[in-house]
Amino acid sequence: MTLTNPVKVITVLSGKEKFMQIKLQQLTKTYKEKRGLLPMDLEVEEGELIALIGHNGAGKSTLLKLLAGWLIPDKGQVFVDGVNLKNRLAVVRKIGFVPETPNLFDFFTVGYNLRLFARLFQIPFQRIEEILKAFNLLAFRNNKVQVLSKGLKQRVSIGRTLLADPPVLLFDEPTSGIDFDMTKEIYRLLTEFHRAGKTIIFTSHRPEEIKTLATRIIVLHQGDMVFDGSPQTYFQSEIHEKLYQ
Amino acid sequence: MIKNIIILTLNDLAISFKNKSIFLILFIPFFVYVSLMLVDEAGVDIQKTRIGLIQSEPYAPVILDAVQSADTLFTVLWVPNEEEGKKQLKEKKIDGLLLRPEKEKPGLVLVVLKKESVLSLFIVEGFSALQRAVEGHDMNWISDIQPLQEGGIQQQTLPTWVLMLALLVSFIIMPAQIAEEKEKKILLALLQTPMREIEWLTAKLFLGMILIFIAVLFLHLMGGFDVGNALAYFAFIGVGSFCFSSYGIFLGFLCRNQASARTLGVIFYLPHLLPSALSDFSQKLSTVAPFLPSYPFFESVKSILLDHTGITALFSAWIYLFFVGLLTFFMAYRLMKKRWLMQ
Repeated sequence: MTLTNPVKVITVLSGKEKFMQIKLQQLTKTYKEKRGLLPMDLEVEEGELIALIGHNGAGKSTLLKLLAGWLIPDKGQVFVDGVNLKNRLAVVRKIGFVPETPNLFDFFTVGYNLRLFARLFQIPFQRIEEILKAFNLLAFRNNKVQVLSKGLKQRVSIGRTLLADPPVLLFDEPTSGIDFDMTKEIYRLLTEFHRAGKTIIFTSHRPEEIKTLATRIIVLHQGDMVFDGSPQTYFQSEIHEKLYQ
Repeated sequence: MIKNIIILTLNDLAISFKNKSIFLILFIPFFVYVSLMLVDEAGVDIQKTRIGLIQSEPYAPVILDAVQSADTLFTVLWVPNEEEGKKQLKEKKIDGLLLRPEKEKPGLVLVVLKKESVLSLFIVEGFSALQRAVEGHDMNWISDIQPLQEGGIQQQTLPTWVLMLALLVSFIIMPAQIAEEKEKKILLALLQTPMREIEWLTAKLFLGMILIFIAVLFLHLMGGFDVGNALAYFAFIGVGSFCFSSYGIFLGFLCRNQASARTLGVIFYLPHLLPSALSDFSQKLSTVAPFLPSYPFFESVKSILLDHTGITALFSAWIYLFFVGLLTFFMAYRLMKKRWLMQ
């Protein structure tokens, strides 16, 4: 299934001068039972498409949730476009997060879910029509979310995230639990968003799948960053062999 | 087949442990046991009621001597005048007040809080027994019983139903709804919008208050009950719904999922409901109940509905409920800021 051009619903940023969009300073999160994320410094340039890879428990989701404000760090700071993440209201329009499991109001319709978030973002309802059309959801607008497949829910979730057209998009295991065709579609979407100039960070525990997708690969292992470089370097490195072969 | 049934039953038991439902099974008998321990045991204090006598009242010496000497039945407390006696009766410092009737009628007038109560019955029976022992008959020491709280059984039980509704919404419905939004990560999704934490909390607070108002209004419309002092009643339903809704929101933040919220809700619901609702029937419970925020709410609603008391007389209870609501609301806000149990 190919979606109607989703790039139409995002602001095309290409052509702008690139700058450091996300900056992590000694970002740390520890859990009682596991390590979480060790102190991490990281800089992300505008327009990068970063794949965060690592085994389960490596700290990938923790990092994304920290960037999305789902988790409060124990130490360290995050700046998005120079704004400290602690200033949540100032960064909510800058970062969009698509979690692994779509977190929608299941008992309401697709249309209601989008309208609610459009109201909260103070976005005109015309935007909802654009999103529904771009993500082939027009036929499902009056369907309750609970009757949709995981793939469709994921599309609604991505659509909802794009309502505010944030320049940074975070995807946590975007292809988890969905079929092959939908996986391809998600990766195609990521590429389109990237072409439109969005900064994208997504997690995957299947590095082979993202070989040709990412512009940068960051490998996490037991909460620590063990690799940060281009895909070409990564697939030739010992890290890939050690972790996945 | 039997093996599968056993496997599934064990699995269901494991789930009930995991979602803490099993604690209800342990908690409810424990709570009933504690309540029964607190309820006055027969043969001890319940048979010793506190009778108020007015210092200036010329009681018949035979009655006075009999009451004072029956120290296994009555504790005599002297009050300066009728007004003070009735005040102490309302404050449950005494269980009954003896007055001389107007127009030189024989016998005494027994003033009690409620006519149809176990305590009133016990006082009358006590006097009958006493009179039988002294005079050999039991006709006229108490010639009249005057209740302070008017209204039939329906009106008198109304405060209990109002309390039950307020606590049901606050401790059963609200925590489960909040825990559901946390469990499904919907709250986190909402927090990715320009919505402020305080806005979400206030919306939840309004939800609880509206539900309580609707439930109470529906109860009044169905039963056609008198609201007593309308302004005071409205003020107390308002502050009570604020207090308990905030409390319920706070409980919701202590739970990771709906099952835990239901369990915690019941664990808070019963101890807030029963001691207050049963405090009229037990001296021990009436000493324990004031430690719960449900008690000032219940007592105030009762005073307004049954005695038509005004808001000024209940101001300290109003302030107390408002403060408890404010405190629990603030604690819920802190937990939300910390993203407590939201993952």
